Amino acid sequence: MALSRPLALAATTAVAMLALAGCAPGGSGPAPTNSVEVSTELTTEDVVLTIADETGFPLTDELAAEFTKQYPNVTFNITRDTFQNLTANAPKLLASDTPPDLIRLPTIGDTVKDGLLANLDPWFDAYGWDTWSAAQLAPLRVNEDNVRGSGSLYQLGLGYSITGIYMNTTLADQLGIDAPPTTIAELEEDLALAKAAGILPIMAGDKDGVVNFVVQAAMNQYNDPAEMMDWILNVPGATYDTPGNVQGAELIREWADKGYFPSDINAIDYASFVSRFQGGEGLFTFNGNWAAADTQAKMGENVDFFLVPPVEEGGDHVAMGAANSFSVAAGSKHLNEIVFFLNWIHTNDAARQIVTDVTGASPGGDPAQKQPEVAPGSLIEDALAMSAQIAAENGQVDFMANATAGIYAGAIIPESQLLVTSQITGDEFVKAVQAFYEQELAG
Amino acid sequence: MARRGTLVGWLFALPALIAYLAFVIYPLLLGVQYSFYRWNGVGPSEWVGLANYIRVFTDDTLLGSIRNAFVLIGFFTIIPVSAGLVLATLIRSVRRGFFASASQTILFLPQIIPLAAAGIAWSWMYAQTGAVNQILNAVGLGFLARPWLGDLQTALPAVGLIGSWVLTGLCTVLFLTGIGKIDQSLYEAVRLDGASWWREFITVTVPGLRQEIAVLVTITIIAALSSFDIIYTTTLGGPGRATLVPGISIYRIGFTQSEVGLASAFGIVLMALVLACVLPIQRLARAGER
Amino acid sequence: MIVRRSEAVIGRIVLVVVLVLTLIPLLNMVSAALQPADTNPTGLAWPTDPQWGNFVTAFETGNVWRLMGSSLFIVAFVVPVSLLFATLAGYALGNLRMRGGRFLFLFLILGLTIPFEALIIPLYYQSQALGVLNTQWAVILPLIGLYMPFSVVWMRAHFVGVPQELSEAARVDGATTLQEFWRIQLPLARPALSALAILLFLWTWNQFLLPVVLISDPLNRTVAGALTFFQGQYYSSIPLLNAGALIIIVPTILVFVIFQRQFIQALLQGAVKG
Repeated sequence: MALSRPLALAATTAVAMLALAGCAPGGSGPAPTNSVEVSTELTTEDVVLTIADETGFPLTDELAAEFTKQYPNVTFNITRDTFQNLTANAPKLLASDTPPDLIRLPTIGDTVKDGLLANLDPWFDAYGWDTWSAAQLAPLRVNEDNVRGSGSLYQLGLGYSITGIYMNTTLADQLGIDAPPTTIAELEEDLALAKAAGILPIMAGDKDGVVNFVVQAAMNQYNDPAEMMDWILNVPGATYDTPGNVQGAELIREWADKGYFPSDINAIDYASFVSRFQGGEGLFTFNGNWAAADTQAKMGENVDFFLVPPVEEGGDHVAMGAANSFSVAAGSKHLNEIVFFLNWIHTNDAARQIVTDVTGASPGGDPAQKQPEVAPGSLIEDALAMSAQIAAENGQVDFMANATAGIYAGAIIPESQLLVTSQITGDEFVKAVQAFYEQELAG
Repeated sequence: MARRGTLVGWLFALPALIAYLAFVIYPLLLGVQYSFYRWNGVGPSEWVGLANYIRVFTDDTLLGSIRNAFVLIGFFTIIPVSAGLVLATLIRSVRRGFFASASQTILFLPQIIPLAAAGIAWSWMYAQTGAVNQILNAVGLGFLARPWLGDLQTALPAVGLIGSWVLTGLCTVLFLTGIGKIDQSLYEAVRLDGASWWREFITVTVPGLRQEIAVLVTITIIAALSSFDIIYTTTLGGPGRATLVPGISIYRIGFTQSEVGLASAFGIVLMALVLACVLPIQRLARAGER
Repeated sequence: MIVRRSEAVIGRIVLVVVLVLTLIPLLNMVSAALQPADTNPTGLAWPTDPQWGNFVTAFETGNVWRLMGSSLFIVAFVVPVSLLFATLAGYALGNLRMRGGRFLFLFLILGLTIPFEALIIPLYYQSQALGVLNTQWAVILPLIGLYMPFSVVWMRAHFVGVPQELSEAARVDGATTLQEFWRIQLPLARPALSALAILLFLWTWNQFLLPVVLISDPLNRTVAGALTFFQGQYYSSIPLLNAGALIIIVPTILVFVIFQRQFIQALLQGAVKG
């Protein structure tokens, strides 16, 4: 047998490898947070802090530049990738030997359970963050059962966002619409008016799922925000399949049937729908404060920004809003320095001004502190007022895309693409998303 | 002498063998191992037996992505290979000179640019305001215009045609050379019989190119079943799940959802599918030779 | 060769049509790249005021130097190492034909059919274990292994075709196997080697999946892998995105045009032998 020897050799190798492969992967348990003595004093040594952020949002660049101006011994290395790539890579990045000190992390997923994020509680006490808005910080906490909403603090926001409706007032004037709608029914009248006049009622895109600003906005008006929030925070027993969510989704289906969305909606991504609305296409668009500065620059006075109206005249408003959430890696070698930077963003007047100027978002922090200055009558002023109103009416809910790590790409985007092109009913949409959610949480 | 040959031979082959074992065979075994566990890639893992494989074969989304991959074979394999055959037969008359060599270069271009770049170029072609709709409007077929990649019915064929665009040139050029090697007396013989163009194609050209056809079918089927780059840069699997393919599913399940075991099981299934499609072709090609 | 006249005419027409279809997407990229950067261009139209500056902007904001450097770094390891290993093994399998070589050959052939997607998950955890994740080595090392089956099969095909008498003559002259390999076989293998080198260069340069998964910073990837970074960077400017993509594919087109004779020859041989 000429083959016998190499065959035996190969067989032994294979057996050896299989034996190796027989052991369970992973299992090293959570990596401990680098233990450092908590300090609120900034080091005087030269330090380079690394930040992993998403493309298209220059806020961290400007904050880093200002910080280096104030503290020249600290410089930054900021890497950017698309939202899609960053969310897919985040757990991998955090688990690597050289994690970024600070990372944009929209969904916590298993990262806390796996010990990848630094627990910020010691700094919360050291800096005295108990004067900050507790409601704003609550969704950034995670408890022992890996449920968000309470427990230890694992994230902070670089700005706290609010969503609403932008209205092209030039088109509104043409249609005789002189004020923002105050109820859903009124909004629907405006949509019908636009459609009849041959004007696109709602500019939206769903190539990358952003039409869900509209879908969730509709759901919010029929749903108990606390229920939606529980579902997003993965509270055991919470369900997406509520009558309110179904009613909201059915409304979207109705709008799709009536042709209120662009016909190529599934080929339009975030950037395209924003630029097309700014270019004058569409009476309304659903978006957040982060687009306020840019939209104002492009459309000048001919645009308005307001909260999605409730069902009943004078009812409480509900809107999506969330921290532009960043987490500190447990493996960061500069824990004190990066937390100092985060604290500075919330407390330094120049930093707070940058947050608002760049994103139109409220900088958070201590509500008693001086708020950033904004131009009177500007969209950013609208946005800050909307934030305040939602806070007063206790109507803020997180984005449903943040419920689990996989749900946006795995269920919400594909199912909404079917919903807005009238392929499935609102009920089917809600049930499909809930089914995916259960499977992912079980997995 | 033979002994020295064996020892030296294995010594010469050793570096290649090590590289192959370390970065193909070892990861393959690692993948087999992962596929029996539930693991999020970081924390502890749990033995689940065949559960991941059962899910691959029962989950509608995953099965749908496999079905889409097989639809893509039509565009990556059937269209380019048959178009290549026909084009090569028609073009063989213009094989020499500057025009011929320039055309060869141009036909090859799609093959040498990154697939990801082809995806970017085509998503712009297919846009609502893109060149495809512009051309349709210009020739009076404006009623067909649509956002090709955003439309449930057309997205998969549209993505598939990008594959046809990339691979047709490759097939044509390979077939052209193959035809050049066919014994010219065979052509003369059928012509003397007064055979039609079609008969000549079936009785001389296709049998003469059997080997090239087998190779190209194999290469293009692998390309279809393991497509990733083009989908990643155009639709990411949408709209709905119309263009979801195994490569995108594996990436998403393994990295976005952190279900390493399920993604690994799907990877192993994908490999098995490729083998199941490719082995019979090799058999057929070899049987035909004898 | 006998060609009917009608066939010749139809052949030319069909060829021209196919060439136009092949070129349109590429020309469309050029036309889009030359539109003003802040507009959304429509369709295929030669710009009235070509913005050649877009290429400069894309070059600078896209960190193209760094990307090219990163790609070259990866290529500079993958291609020579693959060539060396594959030539040695190809010589062993094709010329020395040692015992068990047939088995090794079949074992390698198996690797030709494994799609990269099937290995990408374990490759990720392997590079993590090796401590090379997020560095260029995370792409270099696996690529050498992944290209090995094809490269060895390719070089073996060459050495099988070299007459055994050459080796025998060398050995009669008292040359060792290594001397024979170095002085006689290697020079003869140059055409096969250079063709393989071109193929490996293009495959590495255009590799997308591995860099996207294994290197988190897009600027450390291959240029093809960095295209997603361009999509993010120029998400709001189709002209700049197209300009960036064109800059990235120029080197491959140059390499192809310069070496196209060898390249097409190589592909033809490879396809037929493989």
